[in-house]
Amino acid sequence: MDFSWGYLFQGFATALSLQNIFWALLGCFIGTLVGVLPGIGPVSGIAILLPLTTVLPPTSAIIMMAAIYYGAMYGGSTTAIVVNIPGEASSVPTAMDGYEMAKQGKAGPALAISAIASFVAGTISVIALTFFAPMLANFAVVFGPPEYFALMFMGLSLVISLSGRALLKGIISMAIGLGAALIGQDPLTGSARLTFGFVKLLGGVDFISVIVGLFAISEVMINVEQRIAAISKLDISNWMPTWSDIKRCSWTMLRCTGVGFLLGLLPGCAPSVTTFVAYDLEKRVSKHPEQFGKGAIEGVAAPEGANNATSTAGFVPLFSFGLPTAPSMAVLLGGLMMYGLQPGPMLFKTNPDFVWAVIASMYIGNVMLLVLNLPLVGMWARIVRIPFYILGPLIIFCSVVGTYSIRFQAYDVWVMLLFGVIGYFMRKLGFPVAPMVLASVLAQMLETAMGQSLLISQGSPLIFFTRPISAVFMALAILSIGWGIWVQVRAKTLTAAVEDEEY
Amino acid sequence: MVSQKVHLSRAERDCASTSSLPRAQEDSEYSEAEVRTQRTADIAVGCFITLLGIFIVLASTTIQGGAAHRLPPQTFPMVVGFLLFLCGIALAVKSWRLRGTDLAIKWPDREGFLTILVTLASLAGYIALMNPLGLPLASFVYIAFSTWYLKRSKWPTAILIGLITGIISYVLFIRLLALSFPEGSLFGG
Repeated sequence: MDFSWGYLFQGFATALSLQNIFWALLGCFIGTLVGVLPGIGPVSGIAILLPLTTVLPPTSAIIMMAAIYYGAMYGGSTTAIVVNIPGEASSVPTAMDGYEMAKQGKAGPALAISAIASFVAGTISVIALTFFAPMLANFAVVFGPPEYFALMFMGLSLVISLSGRALLKGIISMAIGLGAALIGQDPLTGSARLTFGFVKLLGGVDFISVIVGLFAISEVMINVEQRIAAISKLDISNWMPTWSDIKRCSWTMLRCTGVGFLLGLLPGCAPSVTTFVAYDLEKRVSKHPEQFGKGAIEGVAAPEGANNATSTAGFVPLFSFGLPTAPSMAVLLGGLMMYGLQPGPMLFKTNPDFVWAVIASMYIGNVMLLVLNLPLVGMWARIVRIPFYILGPLIIFCSVVGTYSIRFQAYDVWVMLLFGVIGYFMRKLGFPVAPMVLASVLAQMLETAMGQSLLISQGSPLIFFTRPISAVFMALAILSIGWGIWVQVRAKTLTAAVEDEEY
Repeated sequence: MVSQKVHLSRAERDCASTSSLPRAQEDSEYSEAEVRTQRTADIAVGCFITLLGIFIVLASTTIQGGAAHRLPPQTFPMVVGFLLFLCGIALAVKSWRLRGTDLAIKWPDREGFLTILVTLASLAGYIALMNPLGLPLASFVYIAFSTWYLKRSKWPTAILIGLITGIISYVLFIRLLALSFPEGSLFGG
């Protein structure tokens, strides 16, 4: 199960089949589109499409989903640079220098360098993923249910403590996600839980309804309330960066890849965090820190590169542990489970053809995105100009179609509507959304792992602390929560507690 | 998503504004919005979450089933209930005792609220009409209505986009992908 070139080449052979190239290309296209359009991001994009892709074979479907994800990371920068509306939270630092460059008439080079930085960082990260993931998976084969429970527990507590200083709100958000996932029949005993006598609720709450509601519907609500009509008329004719621009950014790209990738391995370090870290680092090491914020090209390359490095790094814990580190990874995990693939170390053993095809497709996808983005930058910038009164209803249409096709019942769409409203209030009141998403996807795995562990230990919860690996994870989880509480206690004023709400 | 810092003293309330996102937020029309602070909102939400927690704990006690030496089906819902209960209290108490700088929540103005309500109501109507009218027709009605609602002057565009969406939803989802969406009587389903 170690890395072998044979597997990788076989993966390339699968990924390069005409059919899979088509799905990857479609994924890259949809991803860029989803990233470019305000009001819809990679998470809702993947979640909406997931139920519809059940007609595809699993490899093609996941290749397309992964392409949507990293495609959206490319696309998010376009709106940030051209109209100063960051399509995703992770593109906020890009907007700082990118929009300045655009105002100085250098929108083309800014867009191009962001595509190039994304390509460089994305490709290096896929190489790291290729060698890293099987190594970690090798380590994880010895994991039993207690280790898995401890790992997921650690993942959740890291996401909570890293999701800003609003620790209490993070826990509440997680608990609601967990509670929503528990509604319905208990998988083990079949007894009805939290259904309050409603027969409909026996079917449970599907995580896709939760995610589409939280991300797509609440985003549309925020947008119609602001009545966004913002559409720019920047002229992008000259889009080629000069060689000196690229040379100037070459070290930047390498640094941000390192930062983005390493931080991206941790649960909770979403691209929205690492892009800020990378931007800050570049500013510190730069010889001209005063140019940052005024249109420094490194200020565009750094966050964009880090963005792609982080999103690729997220696949390492997903493939080797089955642990999602961010909402988008949680949706992909849900997708894997929908296809009956058990994510985790055994995936490399039981479905090597699948894993390696998906990894190989990422190399291809990065090239596709560069090709798709460089010459088509003008087209993407024009798409940004679609006014929201057209876009908003269309996003809702896609959300309805996506959630309806989970089970072809209106019930799932009603659940989506409910979570749209919940998501709206969460954004307004500064509750982080990520813990809720992760909890709703992980709930069942958590409960199963705990049940099996207690069966091994004949009911003693000490099993999580007596086995060395799970003890380390539990200790880290407790440490991260303790650290969160400590920060919370120190933050006496509300200002500090809510300032980091941005997710 | 971005909060404005507003100091509690009235004089400062109007002038203070720090935004961590660039222009996009500054442009939005929030000036008329009523200022309800993060503190009161957190107290209210804390109380609500506490009640929700109690409710879930009570509901968990009615769950039946379970076997010896197995994780009982009540445990996880019970834990969720207790977590919500405790965190709800903590959030309410913490905000209650809070002194110093408070934050304003950017609620929409009246018109903004109305737009949101109509958007939600039309979505609800869309879902409700899905089975009786079928996906193509319901989508046409929904898209045409909400596009028109968001931009009154563009009603021809609204109808056109509604038509295109309706046709695409029929051709793509019902004919090509053969998914079991309701077709509605219009298409002989």
